[in-house]
Amino acid sequence: MKRKANSVWRLSQWELMLIILTIAAAACSAQLSPYYLNLDQIADSSRQFIIPGLLALGLMVVVVLGEIDISLASTLAVGTVMLSKFSAFHVQLWLAFPVVLVICALLGALNGVLVAWLGLPSLAVTLGTMGAYRGLAFIIGTEQGYTDFDDSYLWCGTERVLGDIVPVSLIVFGVVALVVGFVVHQTVFGRRCFSVGHNKDAAWFSGIEVRKLKIQTYTLAGALAALAALVWIGQYGSARGDNADGMILFVITAVVLGGVDISGGRGTVLGVVLSLLLLGTIRNGMGCRKVWYLVPFAC
Amino acid sequence: MSPVTKEATFPSTVQRRTFSELALKIRVSGVLAFLLIISVIFSLLTARFFTVQNITVIASNAAILAIVASAQAIVLLTRNVDVSAGSMMGFTAYLTADYAARHQGIGAELVFMALVIGVVLGIINGLLVAYGKVSSLIATLATMSLYRGFTYIYAHGQEVTSNKLPRWMLNSVDLRIGGIPALVILCILIVAGVAIFLRDYPLGRQIYAVGSNPLASVFYGLRTQRIILLAYGLSGLLCGFAGLLYAARVGTVTVILASGWEMASLAAAVIGGVSVTGGSGTVIGAALGALVLATVDNGLVLLGIPEFWRMFVQGSSIVAAAAVDVFIGLKIRDSLQRRRFGRTLV
Repeated sequence: MKRKANSVWRLSQWELMLIILTIAAAACSAQLSPYYLNLDQIADSSRQFIIPGLLALGLMVVVVLGEIDISLASTLAVGTVMLSKFSAFHVQLWLAFPVVLVICALLGALNGVLVAWLGLPSLAVTLGTMGAYRGLAFIIGTEQGYTDFDDSYLWCGTERVLGDIVPVSLIVFGVVALVVGFVVHQTVFGRRCFSVGHNKDAAWFSGIEVRKLKIQTYTLAGALAALAALVWIGQYGSARGDNADGMILFVITAVVLGGVDISGGRGTVLGVVLSLLLLGTIRNGMGCRKVWYLVPFAC
Repeated sequence: MSPVTKEATFPSTVQRRTFSELALKIRVSGVLAFLLIISVIFSLLTARFFTVQNITVIASNAAILAIVASAQAIVLLTRNVDVSAGSMMGFTAYLTADYAARHQGIGAELVFMALVIGVVLGIINGLLVAYGKVSSLIATLATMSLYRGFTYIYAHGQEVTSNKLPRWMLNSVDLRIGGIPALVILCILIVAGVAIFLRDYPLGRQIYAVGSNPLASVFYGLRTQRIILLAYGLSGLLCGFAGLLYAARVGTVTVILASGWEMASLAAAVIGGVSVTGGSGTVIGAALGALVLATVDNGLVLLGIPEFWRMFVQGSSIVAAAAVDVFIGLKIRDSLQRRRFGRTLV
């Protein structure tokens, strides 16, 4: 029992390094700009990583299985334009969001079915569905942006609570990270994911339904993309087919920088969260979108 | 239980073997059949499709993509992937165009410059993947942003407009030899050259060997790291050249030139039957895949279908092509096992 608790709470060297780098980046930023050290500003900077962060948490589980999903940003775009359509027809959010959640989860599941049941290479499949879902988002939403959202749709991405400081989206992200962390590190499902990532054949021989597991993780990633879509709408107040185009790069960077082995079987949710914090801090501090591209080389 | 049974002599297995061999051929001819089918469909739907002028347009549009697709195919054959193709094109295009704009008298050495820049960029990828042991997807994703980032830094928000480029550069792309665009002829020559290199030369065969079984090729005594480096270098060379051609064709060179081409080239290669799991496929297939994409693009535009459907069709065709690829791969495995053991193993 004690060992188990140890393995969860003990920080690996990698995670420790991420924390140190984050602190260093924050210190540098504070030196560079007098406006940096400000609670309001720092809370606001969470905008930089929450949307890709939600995608990264979904992608992390897929990567642990030894697969990859580069269609997530397109799934997000389908989510935003679907929400914009619902908003245009004055559908209540409590009705609209679950529908969008299910649709995005189904898009994820389609990836999973193609990968697991047809045995296709996941890079090729999700490369294809990346284009197909992006096309779908444009077909649903046309190239006209939609900005006339109902306030209830925007609440999740804009509102701040607890003395008007902590953004709701940050709390959502925290809760999702805790839930995914629990599922991945504390449940049988999670252990199975790791064992499939380590050795697919051995996992199959020991009675794990590899195909079902793969479909489940892809579905989870799709569902999280729907949540990211809701946050997107709140943050940007607009929805269009090209939403989050190219974001998947940042997401993959975050997952890999978080110490998740791209060939599967190794990685922690904590690492991914810490790498998101680091990337968010660098992005915020430098105020320069191009600098984070150098980060993969630093490690 | 001996693996060799007498089943091998049964006539029924012989028949099934020929079916599997047919499947092998489908991989090469499938993309051609697909091309014919969509051409017939578009010809029936619109009269403007099957004209000499339109076919020339399609061929010119496909030419540069075909070169990049063969570059992508070389890397895919070694069981790696190159997502930085578009950025390499953009980087080379911007640097050479900027240099040409500053030195108006420059001649053919510009081509040499583009090739050198391309090779250097490709070799950086290759070093990371082969010697740095970074997963190829991660390494080239990183260099994709890195090369694009350097282009941004170098450009300082500027762009090279077409009136600054030397005239010969712009004219040479529109040149026609006997009614056929020079670009198309050049593309055919390059693709044919790469195809012959891969098919008939030891180094080319080694690229296939590394891709179909990296471990076995190490045991066989191949220097897999060097071969992967060579594949990336070759890919960079072709991308650099394609970048120069694209810059000349577009005229105005911006920092985002050729972004998104990595996906288009991957799509073309996969549609053309190049396996993403390495070791199987031809550059001619990849070039035909580029032709398929250009044809679909052109046909959908002529039919007045919104551009988004193109993405949808393109994406779906990648998935379909990957599915066909896996199916044929299974058939080939069955066929090989039948030849060896006279029956299918699980």
